Amino acid sequence: MSAPAAMPLFPTRKAVDFVVIGSGAAGGVIARELSTAGFDVVLLEQGPHRTAADFVHDELAVQFNNELMGGAGNVQTYRRTAAETAKTQSVPPALYAQTVGGSSVHFSANFWRLRPIDFKERSALGPIAGTGFADWPISYEELEPYYTRVDWEIGVSGEPGPFDPPRSKPYPLPPMPLKSSGALLEAGAKKLGLHPQVAPVAVLSQPYNGRGACIHCGFCMGFGCEAGAKSSTLFTMIPQALATGRCELRARCAVYRIETGKDGRVSEVQYWDEKGRQQAQRARAVVLCANGAETPRLLLMSTSAQFPQGLANGSGRVGHYLMGNSHSITHAVFDEPLHDYKSVQCSRVVHDFYESDAKRGFYGGGAIDGRPFLAATPMLFALTSVPPDVPRWGAEYKKYLAHAFTRHMVAASAGTSLARETNTITLDPTHKDPLGRPALRMTYEDHPDDLKLVTFLQDRSVEILEAAGARKVWREPVEASSVQAHLLGTCRMGDDPKTSVVDRYHRSHDVKNLFICDGSSFVTSGRGQPTMTIQALAFRAAEHIAKFARQGDL
Amino acid sequence: MHFEPSRRGFLKAAGSAAGTAWLAGWWPAALAAAKQAGAARAAAAPLEALSPEEGADFAAIAAQIIPSDELPGANEAGVVYFIDAAVRGFMAGAAADLRKGLADLNRKAGTRFAGLTAQAQLDLLKKEESSPFFGTMQFLTVAGMFSMPVYGGNKDYAGWKMLGFEHRHFWVPPFGHYDAPMAKAGAKK
Repeated sequence: MSAPAAMPLFPTRKAVDFVVIGSGAAGGVIARELSTAGFDVVLLEQGPHRTAADFVHDELAVQFNNELMGGAGNVQTYRRTAAETAKTQSVPPALYAQTVGGSSVHFSANFWRLRPIDFKERSALGPIAGTGFADWPISYEELEPYYTRVDWEIGVSGEPGPFDPPRSKPYPLPPMPLKSSGALLEAGAKKLGLHPQVAPVAVLSQPYNGRGACIHCGFCMGFGCEAGAKSSTLFTMIPQALATGRCELRARCAVYRIETGKDGRVSEVQYWDEKGRQQAQRARAVVLCANGAETPRLLLMSTSAQFPQGLANGSGRVGHYLMGNSHSITHAVFDEPLHDYKSVQCSRVVHDFYESDAKRGFYGGGAIDGRPFLAATPMLFALTSVPPDVPRWGAEYKKYLAHAFTRHMVAASAGTSLARETNTITLDPTHKDPLGRPALRMTYEDHPDDLKLVTFLQDRSVEILEAAGARKVWREPVEASSVQAHLLGTCRMGDDPKTSVVDRYHRSHDVKNLFICDGSSFVTSGRGQPTMTIQALAFRAAEHIAKFARQGDL
Repeated sequence: MHFEPSRRGFLKAAGSAAGTAWLAGWWPAALAAAKQAGAARAAAAPLEALSPEEGADFAAIAAQIIPSDELPGANEAGVVYFIDAAVRGFMAGAAADLRKGLADLNRKAGTRFAGLTAQAQLDLLKKEESSPFFGTMQFLTVAGMFSMPVYGGNKDYAGWKMLGFEHRHFWVPPFGHYDAPMAKAGAKK
């Protein structure tokens, strides 16, 4: 690779072509695409610019001190329903990383496409009472070329499975090596007549585009990749954006307001810089990619005379229809060592239950994969992966830890989450973050079908693990969610400005030069693992935004 | 799929939601400082924040939570040094509560906890196992056993050795027993 270009330093009082807010899965792609297309871009990220050398195997710092997630500075509150007063909790309800590359830095890199049915399920199944269940304004076929671009631009390892949607090009990289959890999931599932398949991951199984392959260190879920092999935007899109010489990355810059001019267009982005100074960057257009929780929060903070209920919120839908992905966890201990703490989380997945099936008596579908889950690191194993009949301390506890750490695995299910208007991101009326911004407040109550679905998937997980010959199997109780890592749906895409926030090109219905692209654009949740779709949407959005800019249509 | 609900599950399962809530409140203080303060010390090295009596009591509680047998336990891992580093560093704000918890326990013991017979220690902790103080001690013992030695515990990787966790920066397949046949078949190709 050629030497990086010097990073431009754009004056704040002169409008740049684009300010992109958020450098994660979507923002990294959009900054790279727009700067490569010849536009000047300022990329704002509230977290620091960590690099591979900063990522260490420090479980206490990463998993308990939440260092990649902003630590104590990331103040959020949670309540189940609007009737309650939201409270802070020991784990922030909206889990996302504050670092250059965003949550693509710390995610598990499970990388699924949506399927054709995900975009038109409302038409196929009909309405679901009490929900905002709707079709997307775009189809799988429209998005497919961008899924393929993601595969080849960032590097994805996999192999097609029996239920996969059509793809125009093969995976660029062969699958990651099989793990023992994958071998056992596969063996158990096959005994039951199911069709386990390779789990695709955005991790390099071989060197690719100047980056080295995964070294299987195992510090993957929740951690940054010390080898640069996880295909986060930190290691893929952002260096390429910076290499254009047209993208200025400003890390540790926390946006508090997008300003609207008298003409009803967004004019500048106001933020605190790394030294705590207030700054305002003028822009011809703004692309908001701050994630499905921070994006609506910022829009709601950016009220003005023209937009008294929040920027781009003429529909009143900003912050509504928050979706996560439902999930359940089933543990097993086997006779021989799996050493599942090595390598990536997942190597095999069962997709036989993807489609919704009316015979089950509830809406929804999902998948089951094999992985260590929290048992990939010692502290979390000891705190979370102990069966209910083993004491939590003393001689029996220790005997269990010593025997089971190497012999344990999880069958993890992930599935649909129904859009409910009452599940929201709003501004907390009392709590503030250290910068004085109103804290992010999550209101979330699972739809009963979501919980029925993951209970159903847990029943199947038990069958699979038992068929695989597990010595012991136990269930993590299925409970109401008060924490979400997949932040979806809060600025949904649609053709009707009365019921959606952005149009099919991610342009906000209300403000011509404001675009929004991240998990907030989702109309339905998919079955889990949304990052691949967030990035495909970002490639597609960037192509249209660049076209609009060239046509003078901003 | 994310990694938090089960951690919360633990916090509840530990029977000490209140205890862990205040613990979480202190946690985000800079761990970097703790690293400097905590770097592994020789066995029987003097404690810096805890008195010798407090140290003996905390060590005895930790040794009941993860006892020593043919494999290392809290004593061999030097968990008390992790706690010592914590109370003068990243958990300094919680030190008073911890000491109060210990004082309450000693009152119930009628003597210093460390002075009880092993059986009496066990019996007393069984009665206290749902208290916030005990929940915090469970957490501190696990953290002192399994966090990086730079924080003061896990001496000579005793905790990791007990689990069979080998800390390396890279691995190659086969990883475990059940994937070995496939790795072997792949190697022959």
